[in-house]
Amino acid sequence: MKRRAFLKASAISSTAALVPAFLRGYTPQRLFNSRAEKILVIVQLSGGNDGLNTIIPYRNDLYYQNRPTLAIDRSEVLQVSDELGFHPSMAGLRSLYDEGLMSVVNNVGYPNPDRSHFRSMDIWHTASGSDEYLSTGWLGRYLDQYCTGCEEAHAALEVDDALSLALKGAQRSGFAMSSPAQLKKMTDNRYLQLVADHPHDHEENVAYLYKTLIDTQASADYLAAQARIHRSTVDYPTTEFGRDLKQIAELITADTDTHIYYVSLTGFDTHAGQQQRQQRLLQQYSEGMKAFMEDLRQNNLINDTLVMTFSEFGRRVQQNASGGTDHGTANNLFLMGGNIRQKGFFNEGPDLSRLDSGDLQYQIDFREIYATILKDWLNVDAVKVLNGSFAGLPLL
Amino acid sequence: MQQIKHLYWRAGFGLSPLVWEKRRHWTVRQAVDQLFAEAERDQSIRQAIDAATSTREELTAMAEMPREERKKQARKKITANISDWVQLMADESSSSLKHRMMVFWHGHFACRILVPQLALQQLKVLEAHALGNFRDLVLGIARDPAMIRYLNNQQNRKQTPNENFARELMELFTIGRGHYTETDVKEAARAFTGWSSNLQGEFVFRRFQHDFGQKTFMGQTGTFGGEEIIDIILAKKETAVFLTRKIYRHFVNDKVDESRVHQLAEAFYRSGYDIGRLMRTIFTSDWFYAAENTGNQIKSPVVLLAGMLRSLPTEFRESRSLLVVQKALGQLLFDPPNVAGWPGGQSWIDNSTLLLRLNLPVFWLEAGEADLRSKDSLESAQKGNRLRKLDARIDFSQLENWLEGDDPVSAARKLADYLIVRPVQLPAMLEKELTRQGDTKRTLPMMLAGVMSLPEYQLC
Repeated sequence: MKRRAFLKASAISSTAALVPAFLRGYTPQRLFNSRAEKILVIVQLSGGNDGLNTIIPYRNDLYYQNRPTLAIDRSEVLQVSDELGFHPSMAGLRSLYDEGLMSVVNNVGYPNPDRSHFRSMDIWHTASGSDEYLSTGWLGRYLDQYCTGCEEAHAALEVDDALSLALKGAQRSGFAMSSPAQLKKMTDNRYLQLVADHPHDHEENVAYLYKTLIDTQASADYLAAQARIHRSTVDYPTTEFGRDLKQIAELITADTDTHIYYVSLTGFDTHAGQQQRQQRLLQQYSEGMKAFMEDLRQNNLINDTLVMTFSEFGRRVQQNASGGTDHGTANNLFLMGGNIRQKGFFNEGPDLSRLDSGDLQYQIDFREIYATILKDWLNVDAVKVLNGSFAGLPLL
Repeated sequence: MQQIKHLYWRAGFGLSPLVWEKRRHWTVRQAVDQLFAEAERDQSIRQAIDAATSTREELTAMAEMPREERKKQARKKITANISDWVQLMADESSSSLKHRMMVFWHGHFACRILVPQLALQQLKVLEAHALGNFRDLVLGIARDPAMIRYLNNQQNRKQTPNENFARELMELFTIGRGHYTETDVKEAARAFTGWSSNLQGEFVFRRFQHDFGQKTFMGQTGTFGGEEIIDIILAKKETAVFLTRKIYRHFVNDKVDESRVHQLAEAFYRSGYDIGRLMRTIFTSDWFYAAENTGNQIKSPVVLLAGMLRSLPTEFRESRSLLVVQKALGQLLFDPPNVAGWPGGQSWIDNSTLLLRLNLPVFWLEAGEADLRSKDSLESAQKGNRLRKLDARIDFSQLENWLEGDDPVSAARKLADYLIVRPVQLPAMLEKELTRQGDTKRTLPMMLAGVMSLPEYQLC
């Protein structure tokens, strides 16, 4: 098409000579190799992971009764306690557990659970009650309140093309990037680089757009440079999730000015044919996390990093007619790192004899865990971020 | 001229080049009259909805499909509906004011809808009352099967009331927090018991599920049904204030002038909630055209896209193109984040959405190599959520005719003045390049991309 040729030939893509070296001040690398800030990594399992087939109550008859074909055979379960064990495809996670790098919190949920993916994810992201609607995320509010020292747009980084609500604050938000290369494709538009310097007036929203553009370009350059500093020597699974984790580990090792990372693994909505699908996903997750933690350990960063893994809800106790499970409520949640206080199981597994119309009852409000992370890991006042008082738990 | 541009952006999606040329010297009064007369006359939206609505035979055929196939067909249909709606917004012969109001109400009565038929039905309610009376509108929504399902009023029965709809009716749709008690929520829920929908997607009142007993709601006692509850809520002035404030935020300024809102609300209340009258008052007020209220609102993705389409008529080879862009920009119609709707304002912008917005004109004009993935697909890396290209045919003829005879630099300035509400300067390098190339028609895509990539284009 001719039009295309015009554009290619046009100023928009051929201004290299006009562009001065794209230099913007960003914070130079730290001189000393000590971290003032701890690193938090959030792993989201989207779609509602079936927690009962992840951490398996292999001695519970009710479990086997409710899941005639989906239950994992006792002999296959990777048993770690008298009651509970891991899904057979999670040898990696089991070894993290054995090494004391992991804590499993059972029965996490919230009052009046919502079984819609979207709404429940919303609740987890905004840390709201199930009857209130917030337009900012819990990590976004953390950035709003406490990220005074971190002027950079990439203080919190999501490895994705789009930013999750969890990372959106009122004044500050996290930064989304699926890979430095993908981001560079968007910022390498030379015309946009010039536009950033275009004279503009100071009306609030005009200034906001220009500032976001300039910050984005600076962060894109910075992150591309950071991504080149360190090459991981650990073998990660060659899945998208594995690549994302590797990216994060390399950035952490390069001492990047980012202290919150966010990454998702999706596909857990197993209404039908759950067995194979969940097995494949849990394996991806487990192998990825194993490599990630190994990488951090080799680089002496394991004590500076905390990983939290959650899903928007668990699934029904009883399997359905299609070899799957439907949307449920309470679920287990994992914490990983070198600084876990209560290693292993934080609390007992679910009570399958006391269900709420076929669903697990929650014992621990997820906001208690957020409060713990905010207070004991990020060292801030959790009440301000969570708009409510949650005492937290002795996890860290 | 500035005023006309401002009005047509806030009450619509801007103008096509030739209409702009014709109307830019109009008075505000003339333009406002035109907008309302057009909305009054408009049949195009209703016709489009009727045309898209499936016949009984089609629905029966659909019902007989296997579940997965049915889901696939529904997704396809809703994709087409959304894309058609955005295209219709950009259509010169369709009332932009009515569309704008419908988009506003669609965000106000936010509702996630997966069934195409129900989406169309709800649109019909919005179409009928967008500029009419708010009582009719809210009542239409209370009886709307999609909303009934979304807010669980199906499960609201005498023996086991479900408060979801009653709560949102007050919190988000009418009066706002702080003006009702938890008891009011419970009592209102009782009044809406039995408001349900059948398998055909029609509203039904299930007598046997309805609680005919006495209720005490907002200080009044009686055997109220849902309609009376709505009347009691509307009798409260706070409802007029709540709605007016939201309209003010959406159409005038994120920063609310409370005394002005109260003044407008007073008249809105006295008019018996006449939406059209309120909008006309706003659009004819001097303060609406004051500098602090113009050219400083961040366009929602839908306004941005409909606006681009109005200036740049484009036919996409795949109807999901518009959808994937909407999703990546954070506003997919019929898929609001939750019942509170899209928060709007600066929340539209983060690093990724801004980059996409600024790159979009080039992708569009080049039918370029955007590699877009939209979020929150439950299935991993679903094909339908990924778009490598915007495959599009753009009609440049209007612009070419309009700019004929102008040298490239004056043409580009004319374009900037037409496309952007705020006064902007062209980047020096763009002018330089245009001078060098020296042919208006040939450099038109470059000009367009150059102007539309300016951050100011994101504002209206």
